[in-house]
Amino acid sequence: MTGAAASERGARERILAAAVERIARDGIDGVRIARIAMAAGVSTSLVHYHFETREALLEQALEYSYELAGDVRLGAGEGDALESVQRLAAMIDQFLPYPGLLERDWILWVELWLRAVRHPEMRSTAARLYARMRDWFAEAIATGVARGELDAKNADPERIADRLLALADGYGVRVLFGDLDIEHARREIWAALAHDLGLPANPPPPLDQANPRD
Amino acid sequence: MSPRPRLDHVRRPELLAAAASVIRRRGLEHARVADIAGEAGTSAPSVLYYFASKAELLTEALTSAEERFYEDLALELDQIESARDRMLRIVATCAGEGDYDAALWMELWARALRDPELEVTRAELDGRWRRTIAEVVRYGQERGEFGPADPAEFAVLLASLLDGLSVQIALRDKEVTPDRVRELALKLAERELGCELLEGARL
Repeated sequence: MTGAAASERGARERILAAAVERIARDGIDGVRIARIAMAAGVSTSLVHYHFETREALLEQALEYSYELAGDVRLGAGEGDALESVQRLAAMIDQFLPYPGLLERDWILWVELWLRAVRHPEMRSTAARLYARMRDWFAEAIATGVARGELDAKNADPERIADRLLALADGYGVRVLFGDLDIEHARREIWAALAHDLGLPANPPPPLDQANPRD
Repeated sequence: MSPRPRLDHVRRPELLAAAASVIRRRGLEHARVADIAGEAGTSAPSVLYYFASKAELLTEALTSAEERFYEDLALELDQIESARDRMLRIVATCAGEGDYDAALWMELWARALRDPELEVTRAELDGRWRRTIAEVVRYGQERGEFGPADPAEFAVLLASLLDGLSVQIALRDKEVTPDRVRELALKLAERELGCELLEGARL
Protein backbone atom coordinates (compact mmCIF):
# COMPACT_ATOMS: atom_id res chain seq x y z
CA MET A 1 0.00 0.00 0.00
CA THR A 2 1.32 3.43 -0.87
CA GLY A 3 1.67 6.08 1.78
CA ALA A 4 -1.17 8.08 0.26
CA ALA A 5 -3.52 5.09 0.20
CA ALA A 6 -2.63 4.23 3.80
CA SER A 7 -3.32 7.75 4.97
CA GLU A 8 -6.60 7.81 3.08
CA ARG A 9 -7.64 4.61 4.79
CA GLY A 10 -6.57 6.10 8.11
CA ALA A 11 -8.70 9.18 7.49
CA ARG A 12 -11.70 7.05 6.58
CA GLU A 13 -11.36 5.05 9.78
CA ARG A 14 -11.02 8.19 11.88
CA ILE A 15 -14.16 9.57 10.24
CA LEU A 16 -16.05 6.34 10.99
CA ALA A 17 -14.89 6.24 14.60
CA ALA A 18 -15.96 9.86 15.05
CA ALA A 19 -19.25 9.20 13.24
CA VAL A 20 -20.12 6.31 15.55
CA GLU A 21 -19.54 8.51 18.60
CA ARG A 22 -21.47 11.49 17.26
CA ILE A 23 -24.40 9.52 15.84
CA ALA A 24 -24.80 7.69 19.15
CA ARG A 25 -24.87 11.05 20.92
CA ASP A 26 -26.88 13.25 18.53
CA GLY A 27 -28.82 10.81 16.36
CA ILE A 28 -28.41 10.43 12.63
CA ASP A 29 -30.76 13.35 11.92
CA GLY A 30 -29.16 15.66 14.44
CA VAL A 31 -25.53 14.84 13.79
CA ARG A 32 -23.49 17.59 12.15
CA ILE A 33 -21.00 16.63 9.51
CA ALA A 34 -18.74 19.49 10.59
CA ARG A 35 -18.59 18.02 14.11
CA ILE A 36 -17.57 14.62 12.77
CA ALA A 37 -14.93 16.23 10.57
CA MET A 38 -13.55 18.19 13.50
CA ALA A 39 -13.42 15.11 15.76
CA ALA A 40 -11.70 13.13 13.00
CA GLY A 41 -9.27 15.95 12.26
CA VAL A 42 -10.24 16.17 8.59
CA SER A 43 -12.05 18.68 6.41
CA THR A 44 -15.82 18.64 5.99
CA SER A 45 -15.36 18.10 2.28
CA LEU A 46 -13.38 14.92 2.92
CA VAL A 47 -16.30 13.55 4.97
CA HIS A 48 -18.64 14.36 2.09
CA TYR A 49 -16.17 12.78 -0.32
CA HIS A 50 -16.21 9.46 1.57
CA PHE A 51 -19.90 9.50 2.43
CA GLU A 52 -22.21 11.17 -0.01
CA THR A 53 -25.34 10.83 2.08
CA ARG A 54 -26.31 10.50 5.74
CA GLU A 55 -27.60 7.03 4.95
CA ALA A 56 -24.20 6.01 3.62
CA LEU A 57 -22.55 7.38 6.73
CA LEU A 58 -24.94 5.55 9.06
CA GLU A 59 -24.58 2.33 7.11
CA GLN A 60 -20.79 2.45 7.23
CA ALA A 61 -20.76 3.49 10.87
CA LEU A 62 -22.95 0.52 11.73
CA GLU A 63 -20.78 -1.88 9.77
CA TYR A 64 -17.69 -0.43 11.39
CA SER A 65 -19.18 -0.62 14.85
CA TYR A 66 -20.28 -4.21 14.33
CA GLU A 67 -16.90 -5.23 12.98
CA LEU A 68 -15.34 -3.85 16.13
CA ALA A 69 -17.77 -5.96 18.11
CA GLY A 70 -15.61 -8.61 16.65
CA ASP A 71 -14.99 -12.26 17.00
CA VAL A 72 -17.66 -13.46 19.34
CA ARG A 73 -20.49 -11.70 17.53
CA LEU A 74 -19.33 -12.69 14.10
CA GLY A 75 -18.90 -16.30 15.11
CA ALA A 76 -15.17 -16.63 14.56
CA GLY A 77 -13.06 -19.50 15.83
CA GLU A 78 -13.19 -18.52 19.47
CA GLY A 79 -16.93 -19.11 19.68
CA ASP A 80 -16.77 -22.54 18.07
CA ALA A 81 -14.45 -23.83 20.76
CA LEU A 82 -16.98 -23.14 23.52
CA GLU A 83 -19.42 -25.69 24.75
CA SER A 84 -22.85 -24.88 23.25
CA VAL A 85 -24.56 -23.76 26.45
CA GLN A 86 -21.76 -21.32 27.20
CA ARG A 87 -21.62 -20.21 23.59
CA LEU A 88 -25.34 -19.40 23.45
CA ALA A 89 -25.10 -17.43 26.67
CA ALA A 90 -22.12 -15.49 25.27
CA MET A 91 -24.07 -14.81 22.08
CA ILE A 92 -27.08 -13.50 24.01
CA ASP A 93 -24.73 -11.23 25.93
CA GLN A 94 -23.50 -9.79 22.65
CA PHE A 95 -27.07 -8.75 21.86
CA LEU A 96 -27.74 -6.90 25.09
CA PRO A 97 -26.84 -3.25 25.73
CA TYR A 98 -24.13 -3.71 28.35
CA PRO A 99 -22.69 -0.31 29.32
CA GLY A 100 -19.96 0.84 26.96
CA LEU A 101 -19.52 -0.30 23.39
CA LEU A 102 -22.56 -2.55 23.28
CA GLU A 103 -24.78 0.22 24.58
CA ARG A 104 -23.44 2.53 21.91
CA ASP A 105 -24.05 -0.13 19.23
CA TRP A 106 -27.59 -0.37 20.51
CA ILE A 107 -28.25 3.32 20.03
CA LEU A 108 -27.03 3.02 16.44
CA TRP A 109 -29.25 0.00 16.05
CA VAL A 110 -32.35 2.01 17.00
CA GLU A 111 -31.24 4.72 14.55
CA LEU A 112 -31.06 2.04 11.88
CA TRP A 113 -34.65 0.96 12.56
CA LEU A 114 -35.86 4.50 12.23
CA ARG A 115 -33.89 5.24 9.11
CA ALA A 116 -34.74 1.98 7.38
CA VAL A 117 -38.46 2.41 7.89
CA ARG A 118 -38.40 5.76 6.11
CA HIS A 119 -35.65 5.09 3.59
CA PRO A 120 -36.24 1.92 1.60
CA GLU A 121 -32.65 2.02 0.36
CA MET A 122 -31.50 1.39 3.94
CA ARG A 123 -33.58 -1.75 4.24
CA SER A 124 -31.07 -3.93 2.47
CA THR A 125 -28.49 -2.91 5.09
CA ALA A 126 -30.90 -3.79 7.88
CA ALA A 127 -31.84 -7.05 6.17
CA ARG A 128 -28.18 -7.95 5.78
CA LEU A 129 -27.37 -7.30 9.43
CA TYR A 130 -30.41 -9.26 10.62
CA ALA A 131 -29.66 -12.14 8.25
CA ARG A 132 -26.09 -12.28 9.50
CA MET A 133 -27.25 -12.54 13.11
CA ARG A 134 -29.98 -15.04 12.28
CA ASP A 135 -27.50 -17.27 10.42
CA TRP A 136 -25.00 -16.96 13.23
CA PHE A 137 -27.54 -18.18 15.77
CA ALA A 138 -29.05 -20.85 13.59
CA GLU A 139 -25.56 -22.16 12.86
CA ALA A 140 -24.64 -22.26 16.57
CA ILE A 141 -27.84 -24.17 17.32
CA ALA A 142 -27.29 -26.62 14.47
CA THR A 143 -23.68 -27.19 15.60
CA GLY A 144 -24.84 -27.77 19.18
CA VAL A 145 -27.42 -30.29 18.01
CA ALA A 146 -24.86 -32.09 15.83
CA ARG A 147 -22.48 -32.34 18.79
CA GLY A 148 -25.27 -33.67 20.99
CA GLU A 149 -25.00 -30.67 23.32
CA LEU A 150 -28.41 -29.25 22.45
CA ASP A 151 -31.74 -30.90 21.87
CA ALA A 152 -33.74 -28.90 19.32
CA LYS A 153 -36.42 -31.61 19.30
CA ASN A 154 -38.37 -30.89 16.16
CA ALA A 155 -37.90 -27.14 16.23
CA ASP A 156 -36.35 -25.42 13.26
CA PRO A 157 -33.12 -23.61 14.28
CA GLU A 158 -34.12 -20.69 12.02
CA ARG A 159 -37.38 -20.16 13.90
CA ILE A 160 -35.64 -20.36 17.23
CA ALA A 161 -33.18 -17.77 15.92
CA ASP A 162 -36.05 -15.51 14.79
CA ARG A 163 -37.62 -15.65 18.21
CA LEU A 164 -34.30 -14.99 19.89
CA LEU A 165 -33.52 -11.95 17.74
CA ALA A 166 -36.97 -10.50 18.36
CA LEU A 167 -36.70 -11.02 22.10
CA ALA A 168 -33.20 -9.53 22.12
CA ASP A 169 -34.52 -6.42 20.32
CA GLY A 170 -37.61 -6.09 22.50
CA TYR A 171 -35.85 -6.67 25.82
CA GLY A 172 -32.69 -4.87 24.74
CA VAL A 173 -34.45 -1.63 23.89
CA ARG A 174 -36.21 -1.68 27.28
CA VAL A 175 -32.89 -2.25 29.04
CA LEU A 176 -31.49 0.67 27.06
CA PHE A 177 -34.25 2.87 28.46
CA GLY A 178 -33.77 1.55 31.97
CA ASP A 179 -37.23 -0.11 32.13
CA LEU A 180 -35.60 -3.45 32.98
CA ASP A 181 -32.23 -4.47 34.33
CA ILE A 182 -29.94 -6.41 32.08
CA GLU A 183 -29.81 -9.51 34.29
CA HIS A 184 -33.58 -9.77 34.15
CA ALA A 185 -33.55 -9.53 30.33
CA ARG A 186 -30.77 -12.10 30.10
CA ARG A 187 -32.67 -14.56 32.33
CA GLU A 188 -35.95 -14.17 30.46
CA ILE A 189 -34.43 -14.54 27.01
CA TRP A 190 -32.60 -17.62 28.24
CA ALA A 191 -35.77 -19.10 29.73
CA ALA A 192 -37.63 -18.63 26.43
CA LEU A 193 -34.82 -20.49 24.67
CA ALA A 194 -34.24 -23.16 27.33
CA HIS A 195 -37.47 -24.97 26.64
CA ASP A 196 -36.80 -25.39 22.92
CA LEU A 197 -33.20 -26.48 23.22
CA GLY A 198 -33.18 -28.62 26.34
CA LEU A 199 -31.02 -26.07 28.16
CA PRO A 200 -30.56 -25.75 31.92
CA ALA A 201 -33.20 -23.45 33.43
CA ASN A 202 -30.70 -20.70 34.27
CA PRO A 203 -28.00 -19.24 32.03
CA PRO A 204 -24.33 -19.73 32.94
CA PRO A 205 -22.65 -16.56 34.25
CA PRO A 206 -21.27 -14.16 31.60
CA LEU A 207 -17.86 -15.18 30.25
CA ASP A 208 -16.33 -12.03 31.63
CA GLN A 209 -18.45 -11.35 34.67
CA ALA A 210 -17.61 -7.66 34.74
CA ASN A 211 -18.39 -6.93 31.13
CA PRO A 212 -18.30 -9.14 28.09
CA ARG A 213 -16.54 -6.71 25.86
CA ASP A 214 -14.76 -3.73 27.21
CA MET B 1 -54.82 37.83 22.74
CA SER B 2 -58.14 36.85 21.26
CA PRO B 3 -59.89 33.82 22.70
CA ARG B 4 -59.43 30.62 20.74
CA PRO B 5 -62.30 29.93 18.35
CA ARG B 6 -64.94 27.42 19.31
CA LEU B 7 -63.79 25.14 16.53
CA ASP B 8 -60.65 24.49 18.57
CA HIS B 9 -61.63 20.97 19.51
CA VAL B 10 -62.19 20.11 15.87
CA ARG B 11 -59.06 21.65 14.43
CA ARG B 12 -56.55 20.25 16.87
CA PRO B 13 -57.27 16.57 16.21
CA GLU B 14 -57.36 17.27 12.49
CA LEU B 15 -54.00 18.99 12.61
CA LEU B 16 -52.54 16.21 14.75
CA ALA B 17 -53.69 13.62 12.24
CA ALA B 18 -52.18 15.68 9.41
CA ALA B 19 -48.93 15.99 11.35
CA ALA B 20 -48.85 12.23 12.02
CA SER B 21 -49.28 11.53 8.34
CA VAL B 22 -46.47 13.95 7.39
CA ILE B 23 -44.17 12.42 10.03
CA ARG B 24 -44.96 8.98 8.69
CA ARG B 25 -44.02 10.08 5.19
CA ARG B 26 -41.07 12.37 5.75
CA GLY B 27 -39.85 11.59 9.23
CA LEU B 28 -39.99 13.91 12.18
CA GLU B 29 -36.81 15.75 11.28
CA HIS B 30 -38.12 16.78 7.89
CA ALA B 31 -41.74 17.42 8.80
CA ARG B 32 -42.37 21.09 7.94
CA VAL B 33 -45.25 23.15 9.22
CA ALA B 34 -46.05 24.10 5.62
CA ASP B 35 -46.49 20.40 4.72
CA ILE B 36 -48.75 19.82 7.70
CA ALA B 37 -50.81 22.88 6.79
CA GLY B 38 -51.09 21.65 3.19
CA GLU B 39 -52.17 18.21 4.38
CA ALA B 40 -54.87 19.77 6.58
CA GLY B 41 -55.94 22.27 3.91
CA THR B 42 -54.97 25.33 5.90
CA SER B 43 -52.08 27.76 6.24
CA ALA B 44 -48.90 27.58 8.30
CA PRO B 45 -49.81 30.56 10.52
CA SER B 46 -53.16 29.01 11.35
CA VAL B 47 -51.43 25.72 12.29
CA LEU B 48 -49.19 27.63 14.66
CA TYR B 49 -52.23 29.36 16.09
CA TYR B 50 -53.34 26.07 17.60
CA PHE B 51 -49.96 24.93 18.86
CA ALA B 52 -47.42 26.89 20.84
CA SER B 53 -44.58 25.61 18.68
CA LYS B 54 -43.72 23.20 15.93
CA ALA B 55 -42.07 21.00 18.55
CA GLU B 56 -45.27 20.83 20.58
CA LEU B 57 -47.28 19.89 17.50
CA LEU B 58 -44.89 17.14 16.48
CA THR B 59 -44.55 15.68 19.96
CA GLU B 60 -48.29 15.64 20.43
CA ALA B 61 -48.85 14.11 17.00
CA LEU B 62 -46.39 11.36 17.82
CA THR B 63 -47.98 10.47 21.13
CA SER B 64 -51.64 11.02 20.25
CA ALA B 65 -51.50 8.38 17.51
CA GLU B 66 -50.15 5.87 20.03
CA GLU B 67 -52.69 6.90 22.63
CA ARG B 68 -55.53 6.46 20.20
CA PHE B 69 -54.21 3.02 19.32
CA TYR B 70 -54.36 1.91 22.97
CA GLU B 71 -57.78 3.45 23.52
CA ASP B 72 -59.24 1.76 20.45
CA LEU B 73 -57.63 -1.54 21.38
CA ALA B 74 -58.99 -1.39 24.94
CA LEU B 75 -62.52 -0.73 23.65
CA GLU B 76 -62.23 -3.53 21.17
CA LEU B 77 -60.91 -6.02 23.73
CA ASP B 78 -63.84 -5.21 26.01
CA GLN B 79 -66.22 -6.41 23.31
CA ILE B 80 -64.51 -9.79 23.06
CA GLU B 81 -65.85 -12.50 25.34
CA SER B 82 -63.12 -15.10 25.61
CA ALA B 83 -59.61 -14.40 26.91
CA ARG B 84 -58.20 -16.60 24.20
CA ASP B 85 -59.74 -14.38 21.48
CA ARG B 86 -58.51 -11.29 23.29
CA MET B 87 -54.99 -12.68 23.22
CA LEU B 88 -55.32 -13.49 19.51
CA ARG B 89 -56.40 -9.88 18.92
CA ILE B 90 -53.37 -8.52 20.76
CA VAL B 91 -51.03 -10.63 18.68
CA ALA B 92 -52.86 -9.62 15.50
CA THR B 93 -52.23 -5.91 16.16
CA CYS B 94 -48.53 -6.52 15.58
CA ALA B 95 -48.78 -9.03 12.80
CA GLY B 96 -49.24 -6.60 9.94
CA GLU B 97 -52.93 -5.88 10.29
CA GLY B 98 -52.18 -2.30 9.39
CA ASP B 99 -53.47 -0.64 12.54
CA TYR B 100 -50.19 -0.70 14.36
CA ASP B 101 -48.07 2.18 13.26
CA ALA B 102 -44.49 0.99 13.47
CA ALA B 103 -43.00 4.09 11.81
CA LEU B 104 -44.44 6.46 14.40
CA TRP B 105 -43.61 4.03 17.20
CA MET B 106 -39.97 4.01 16.12
CA GLU B 107 -39.83 7.80 15.85
CA LEU B 108 -41.07 8.00 19.40
CA TRP B 109 -38.64 5.43 20.77
CA ALA B 110 -35.64 6.79 18.87
CA ARG B 111 -36.40 10.42 19.89
CA ALA B 112 -36.99 9.37 23.47
CA LEU B 113 -33.35 8.28 23.71
CA ARG B 114 -32.37 11.94 23.58
CA ASP B 115 -35.43 13.78 24.81
CA PRO B 116 -36.26 13.37 28.52
CA GLU B 117 -39.84 14.65 28.11
CA LEU B 118 -40.59 12.25 25.30
CA GLU B 119 -38.97 9.51 27.36
CA VAL B 120 -41.60 10.06 30.09
CA THR B 121 -44.34 9.69 27.47
CA ARG B 122 -42.70 6.65 25.91
CA ALA B 123 -42.43 4.93 29.31
CA GLU B 124 -46.10 5.69 30.04
CA LEU B 125 -47.24 4.30 26.70
CA ASP B 126 -45.11 1.19 27.07
CA GLY B 127 -46.54 0.70 30.56
CA ARG B 128 -49.99 0.89 29.06
CA TRP B 129 -49.17 -1.70 26.42
CA ARG B 130 -47.83 -4.07 29.07
CA ARG B 131 -50.82 -3.49 31.35
CA THR B 132 -53.18 -4.24 28.47
CA ILE B 133 -51.50 -7.62 27.99
CA ALA B 134 -51.33 -8.35 31.74
CA GLU B 135 -55.04 -7.59 32.12
CA VAL B 136 -55.94 -10.09 29.41
CA VAL B 137 -53.83 -12.69 31.24
CA ARG B 138 -55.61 -11.98 34.55
CA TYR B 139 -58.97 -12.07 32.81
CA GLY B 140 -58.09 -15.47 31.31
CA GLN B 141 -56.92 -16.77 34.66
CA GLU B 142 -60.17 -15.66 36.33
CA ARG B 143 -62.13 -17.48 33.67
CA GLY B 144 -59.97 -20.56 34.01
CA GLU B 145 -58.76 -20.28 30.42
CA PHE B 146 -55.10 -19.59 31.24
CA GLY B 147 -52.73 -21.32 33.62
CA PRO B 148 -50.75 -19.75 36.45
CA ALA B 149 -48.27 -17.41 34.72
CA ASP B 150 -47.12 -14.14 36.29
CA PRO B 151 -49.20 -11.59 34.31
CA ALA B 152 -46.62 -8.78 34.54
CA GLU B 153 -43.70 -11.03 33.56
CA PHE B 154 -45.65 -12.51 30.70
CA ALA B 155 -46.58 -9.01 29.53
CA VAL B 156 -42.90 -7.98 29.27
CA LEU B 157 -42.10 -11.22 27.48
CA LEU B 158 -44.88 -10.93 24.90
CA ALA B 159 -44.44 -7.16 24.43
CA SER B 160 -40.72 -7.65 23.85
CA LEU B 161 -41.26 -10.43 21.36
CA LEU B 162 -43.97 -8.52 19.47
CA ASP B 163 -41.95 -5.32 19.41
CA GLY B 164 -38.90 -7.14 18.11
CA LEU B 165 -40.96 -8.88 15.46
CA SER B 166 -42.74 -5.63 14.52
CA VAL B 167 -39.37 -4.04 13.85
CA GLN B 168 -38.49 -6.80 11.44
CA ILE B 169 -41.88 -6.55 9.72
CA ALA B 170 -41.50 -2.79 9.44
CA LEU B 171 -38.08 -3.28 7.88
CA ARG B 172 -39.75 -5.64 5.38
CA ASP B 173 -37.50 -8.49 6.40
CA LYS B 174 -38.42 -11.25 3.96
CA GLU B 175 -37.82 -13.94 6.55
CA VAL B 176 -40.33 -12.48 8.97
CA THR B 177 -43.83 -12.59 7.52
CA PRO B 178 -47.03 -11.72 9.42
CA ASP B 179 -47.89 -15.44 9.49
CA ARG B 180 -44.58 -16.28 11.04
CA VAL B 181 -45.03 -13.52 13.61
CA ARG B 182 -48.40 -14.94 14.67
CA GLU B 183 -47.02 -18.43 14.88
CA LEU B 184 -43.96 -17.44 16.93
CA ALA B 185 -45.97 -15.26 19.30
CA LEU B 186 -48.84 -17.70 19.76
CA LYS B 187 -46.52 -20.65 20.38
CA LEU B 188 -44.74 -18.71 23.08
CA ALA B 189 -48.05 -17.63 24.61
CA GLU B 190 -49.42 -21.19 24.50
CA ARG B 191 -46.45 -22.49 26.41
CA GLU B 192 -46.42 -19.73 29.01
CA LEU B 193 -50.16 -19.64 29.56
CA GLY B 194 -50.74 -23.38 29.29
CA CYS B 195 -53.59 -22.99 26.86
CA GLU B 196 -54.26 -23.74 23.25
CA LEU B 197 -54.11 -20.70 20.95
CA LEU B 198 -52.87 -21.74 17.53
CA GLU B 199 -55.43 -24.41 16.69
CA GLY B 200 -58.30 -23.00 14.65
CA ALA B 201 -57.06 -19.44 15.10
CA ARG B 202 -57.75 -17.36 12.03
CA LEU B 203 -54.17 -17.12 10.80
